[in-house]
Amino acid sequence: MRPEPGGCCCRRPLRANGCVANGQVRNGYVRSSAAAAAAAAGQVHHVTQNGGLYKKPFNEAFEETPMLVAVLTYVGYGVLTLFGYLRDFLRYWRIEKCHYATEREEQKDFVPLYQDFENFYTRNLYMRIRDNWNRPICSVPGARMDIMERQSHDYNWSFRYTGNTIKGVINMGSYNYLGFARNTGSCQEAAAKVLEEYGVGVCSTRQEIGNLDKHEELEKLVASFLGVEAAMAYGMGFATNSMNIPALVSKGCLILSDELNHASLVLGARLSGATIRVFKHNNMQSLEKLLKDAIVCGQPRTRRPWKKILILVEGIYSMEGSIVRLPEVIALKKKYKAYLYLDEAHSIGALGPAGRGVVDYFGLDPEDVDVMMGTFTKSFGASGGYIGGKKELIDYLRTHSHSAVYATSLSPPVVQQIITSMKCIMGKDGTTLGKECVQQLAENTRYFRRRLKEMGFIIYGNEDSPVVPLMLYMPAKIGAFGREMLKRNIGVVVVGFPATPIIESRARFCLSAAHTKEILDTALKEIDEVGDLLQLKYSRHRLVPLLDRPFDETTYEETED
Amino acid sequence: MATAAEQWVLVEMVQALYEAPAYHLILEGILILWIIRLLFSKTYKLQERSDLTVKEKEELIEEWQPEPLVPPISKDHPALNYNIVSGPPSHSIVVNGKECINFASFNFLGLLDNPRVKAAALASLKKYGVGTCGPRGFYGTFDVHLDLEDRLAKFMKTEEAIIYSYGFATIASAIPAYSKRGDIVFVDRAACFAIQKGLQASRSNIKLFEHNDMADLERLLKEQEIEDQKNPRKARVTRRFIVVEGLYMNTGTICPLPELVQLKYKYKARIFLEESLSFGVLGEHGRGVTEHFGINIDDIDLISANMENALASIGGFCCGRSFVIDHQRLSGQGYCFSASLPPLLAAAAIEALNIMEENPGITFEPRKSDCRLH
Repeated sequence: MRPEPGGCCCRRPLRANGCVANGQVRNGYVRSSAAAAAAAAGQVHHVTQNGGLYKKPFNEAFEETPMLVAVLTYVGYGVLTLFGYLRDFLRYWRIEKCHYATEREEQKDFVPLYQDFENFYTRNLYMRIRDNWNRPICSVPGARMDIMERQSHDYNWSFRYTGNTIKGVINMGSYNYLGFARNTGSCQEAAAKVLEEYGVGVCSTRQEIGNLDKHEELEKLVASFLGVEAAMAYGMGFATNSMNIPALVSKGCLILSDELNHASLVLGARLSGATIRVFKHNNMQSLEKLLKDAIVCGQPRTRRPWKKILILVEGIYSMEGSIVRLPEVIALKKKYKAYLYLDEAHSIGALGPAGRGVVDYFGLDPEDVDVMMGTFTKSFGASGGYIGGKKELIDYLRTHSHSAVYATSLSPPVVQQIITSMKCIMGKDGTTLGKECVQQLAENTRYFRRRLKEMGFIIYGNEDSPVVPLMLYMPAKIGAFGREMLKRNIGVVVVGFPATPIIESRARFCLSAAHTKEILDTALKEIDEVGDLLQLKYSRHRLVPLLDRPFDETTYEETED
Repeated sequence: MATAAEQWVLVEMVQALYEAPAYHLILEGILILWIIRLLFSKTYKLQERSDLTVKEKEELIEEWQPEPLVPPISKDHPALNYNIVSGPPSHSIVVNGKECINFASFNFLGLLDNPRVKAAALASLKKYGVGTCGPRGFYGTFDVHLDLEDRLAKFMKTEEAIIYSYGFATIASAIPAYSKRGDIVFVDRAACFAIQKGLQASRSNIKLFEHNDMADLERLLKEQEIEDQKNPRKARVTRRFIVVEGLYMNTGTICPLPELVQLKYKYKARIFLEESLSFGVLGEHGRGVTEHFGINIDDIDLISANMENALASIGGFCCGRSFVIDHQRLSGQGYCFSASLPPLLAAAAIEALNIMEENPGITFEPRKSDCRLH
């Protein structure tokens, strides 16, 4: 055991390895089977407990794709591609009717707007199972929702609404972690009052005449909620990232971004003009190596020292269900004098004993994180984003952020919803409702994950994360799972390529404090049934320890614009 | 038989060896030794890691000092302290405690405190709550959104419309969805910030032409045509776009749309029209600059506008033919990766549209007061 950065000794967190016999390929490198065999032998839950960094067990598992399943998945995609080419051929020669829209007659001699191949995937694979996405609902997105029924008579090219609604569908897809998506209750009443008083729109930017007293109130509240000096709120979570990262870094700075970061973070990093280097997902050795190399070698070619180094991580990664190893990241950041940008879109409100996010979950000091960003869409049932940090940071953003100058501020009833829900979570409204919701969510998470693992499904991610990805792998099962669950009155989210790697398609459940035990039990029963029907129970049933990814010496990808 | 042939070849070889001149043998020997050396020497790494010792590396790490995350801002920076508006930001507004007449908001049609709009938003709030808790693809599509898209498409007389949850993100996501690296975009020098961000995200070649100067644009297009003739294969796959605003935010002037449409067909470039300020204001019914000039809306490939000005709501939309708009449902970043518009804002926008359709005269008011001020 070598000394950890920060001076304490620690046992490296180990990662799951299902298949022992043959070396599995995951994300490009082969796991050494010897290490896997040694680790998988017998141990049920390996717990990382090191001197000071982790105060409680950090259990994260990503079971290996079974070899047979991987092969069959590739075969499946191969068959689909072949059929895709066949159908394109038939459409080109007009043997089959072309359902999709085409260019105008007058513009036929323009350069084509889309290259044929770009849309190959959309036309031939996505179209077949398109009915699993964009399902319109007509009620509150709470624990149960009403879905508008739609039919397609031409294999998903066009939909027709029958006029019926499927009522009371269990909602396992909406980001409603604390159950604040409600149309009754104190939040709704307060928002209604503000709507009456202030109206709906703002029609101006923050720097001009769009800064309402409500916004100032909100920002003070957010700062006290997070435990930071000051905060600033923006109208859209996506825009918060894409417009503020360019304000913080520029050419001559280095951004170290996690492999699986959200599109908004990637876009913000690209727009800033800084050099971007990607480290393996949640892999601290990869990050440390990049930091060391960056400081020692400096900027590429000129060798000048970097102006700043910014590490971009997320609290909970929504596709994997993993939680960032924040104590280690902070230790690294302190040692190498880098800055940390933490995107808590999914983790704020959903993690931690007080619901204050991933910093609260690990019991760390919010001052250690330089920029705490988050959104109000998930746990607060509103919309918008915020950034919290030291007063100098927020002062700078107030003057230099693109959003403050050019984009509209938040709508007043939305602001009031955030204020009421945040006060509720903090307990400032005089009830214990917030605390109960946070606890209910944690219980639901543990219960649901444990039951699914016992049933034999492969579940990714951390034990405590309310985002539960259930692996499907094969393309046909994506469509089948979504449809079968809807038949049984449960709405789930299924994701495939390109949001996930091509063979790792999954169904993603988002748990909520609004889900009662009965709802969860019903859902689990149906998932069990569908799992048997579609043969989804791939797990080798070993609740395995966490093995660190043996990462590759040949390392980082550097992307420069 | 075979072995005899082999032996015969071997004998030939040995004989040749004896008969070869010495320098030839020595050269061959040296070459063989060189190959063996290369085979066994260490691999040459293209990216040379520094051969610093561990101690030197640690010293470098110790010595490196980054810049502060943000530079300090002086207390009297003009943009630091915002004006605080208490109460609704309508025509009469209370700024920093003082009551003023509002000439600063983009509340063109005065719909910000319209009771019908508020009532519609309230009804929606009572039915759906505030947030949608999901992006459009994952149970974030409400019937209100579909309604609004339908109504906007019908109002603008196009095939389809798509809604975004934030005005800024609309054009900034629409442009990169179509224009990629290698494509050419001709954009007005006075284009607004959102367009600039969209262009930066698209990584295309940007060619700026002087504000509202059609001759300059034609010059650039001609230059591009000459380039194309030099390399016809590349030209066949390079898309061209002209991005203009209906009513420019930075200068307040209207773009010369008829000439633009002529240039479009002459040089085969597609037009993206940004109508944030002209929607609801120009044109007989408020349909924007296409109605103002009487141009067929199908001639414009994409019209993008935000609902934060005339419609007094939040969000934005793009409208055009299905062929163009449908693509954004899978490639518009601000559409796919962001939560959808809260239903109460969509309901407010629908009601505002209703009001606009019922009294077309409403769009004349701002123009009349404009003339008086001028």
